[in-house]
Amino acid sequence: MRRALLLLAALALAAPALTGCAAPAVAVYQREHLVDPIMAFQATAKQDARRVRAFEAREGSTGGVGGEGGGCACK
Amino acid sequence: MTCGLGRGLAAAAFGALLATPAAAQLPGDSNTANGLFRMFVDSKHVLVRSLVEDFSVPLRGDADLSLHWNHERVTIPAIAAPAGSQEAIDAITTASRPIEGDAYQDFEKTRNELQGEVKRGGASVGYYHSIESDYLAHQVSASYDRGFRDEQTNVSVGTSWGWDDIKPLADQRSVTRADHKNTLHLNAVATQILTPTSVVRLGVEYNHVTGLQHNPYRLVYAGGASVPERHPETRDRRDAFLRFHQYLDNRSSLKLDYRLYDDDWGILSHEVTGALSQYVVDGFYARYQYRWYTQSAADFWRPEYATTQGVNGYLTGDYRLSRLSSHLFGVSLNADLGALAPDSPKLRRFAVSLDYERYFNSNNYSADILETGLQFRF
Repeated sequence: MRRALLLLAALALAAPALTGCAAPAVAVYQREHLVDPIMAFQATAKQDARRVRAFEAREGSTGGVGGEGGGCACK
Repeated sequence: MTCGLGRGLAAAAFGALLATPAAAQLPGDSNTANGLFRMFVDSKHVLVRSLVEDFSVPLRGDADLSLHWNHERVTIPAIAAPAGSQEAIDAITTASRPIEGDAYQDFEKTRNELQGEVKRGGASVGYYHSIESDYLAHQVSASYDRGFRDEQTNVSVGTSWGWDDIKPLADQRSVTRADHKNTLHLNAVATQILTPTSVVRLGVEYNHVTGLQHNPYRLVYAGGASVPERHPETRDRRDAFLRFHQYLDNRSSLKLDYRLYDDDWGILSHEVTGALSQYVVDGFYARYQYRWYTQSAADFWRPEYATTQGVNGYLTGDYRLSRLSSHLFGVSLNADLGALAPDSPKLRRFAVSLDYERYFNSNNYSADILETGLQFRF
């Protein structure tokens, strides 16, 4: 359990460095496609949560949505 | 002590939920009400009908309140085999429903689920409550997310604590007793804009589950006898997922997801999902989806047990712990009347959706899932 907690904390702290530094800057006015309903994570968050619950009742694993939040990186 | 802490947090969450909604909102503000009807029917004729309502309103001080209610009716069909036949005896022995009185009548139960969440800035707290005749579930949750580099990167951490009271109904096959289950959940998620048309999300999750984790009604054939199912009382579950979304030139998008899961019961699983969404006209789009899933079996799962002690004292009749793979195909139609009928003051406040999914797995099991949704903005 302690190892899992340490792993989670390390990943949370390292994630911006792992995913962010290599990407070029995208200005706010260039992000219109990212908030489109066919692209945004938030648009299907509730449906994703319902689907995970349905799969939990039929399969042996769980997870995949990280709660319903997670931020959109495109505010 | 943990229970007391959980109840304290629940009280705090409820207090936050009672905060007064903002008095005046301009038209076009983000108040929404969503109604959804969901019907699930599988190859064993189990029928689940859900009526879901979601409300979202702004509160004072840049906070938002969302409420979720789900009323669900589950029908598990009667034993269909002729009374007294070996097939009927087998069906009754291995049934995952209580057998009390007439097993040849449908078993019905109702579940009500209520969830509330308050968000302010990047922080949120929530409370979840679910009640049915033999199961009472509570959960408190909290999360925090923060943007970096002009919101190009977002990092979120979340946690929840759930405590469930399980009170099995009377069952003529064995003596059932009340029990509990607790779940600690932790997650960390990073979302990164890659280009003006692509975004990626990476997440890890951890669940530590303690308490009753088998079906209290199910019996398992072992060593020539029928004995109650018995699973370990602790389970550590971990998963990591990667989600990539790409906007395409012809007003469509491609979403690719991968999830890796493992736990200390010996299950290792992979899940791959692909979805293609395409606008037909402004405000109306279709989505096509495919999901593939595979998992290994739990260490103590066996098709047959030679002795009543099973494997290291554990026995299961739960096919979800066996090796299996599954496929899902889905199609969804979504119409935003705000774009389709912008001149109609009433219609433009609505959005409608229709979803159909076909699921089947290697255990000779299949299901159809139909969802119809209606959203109202005010």
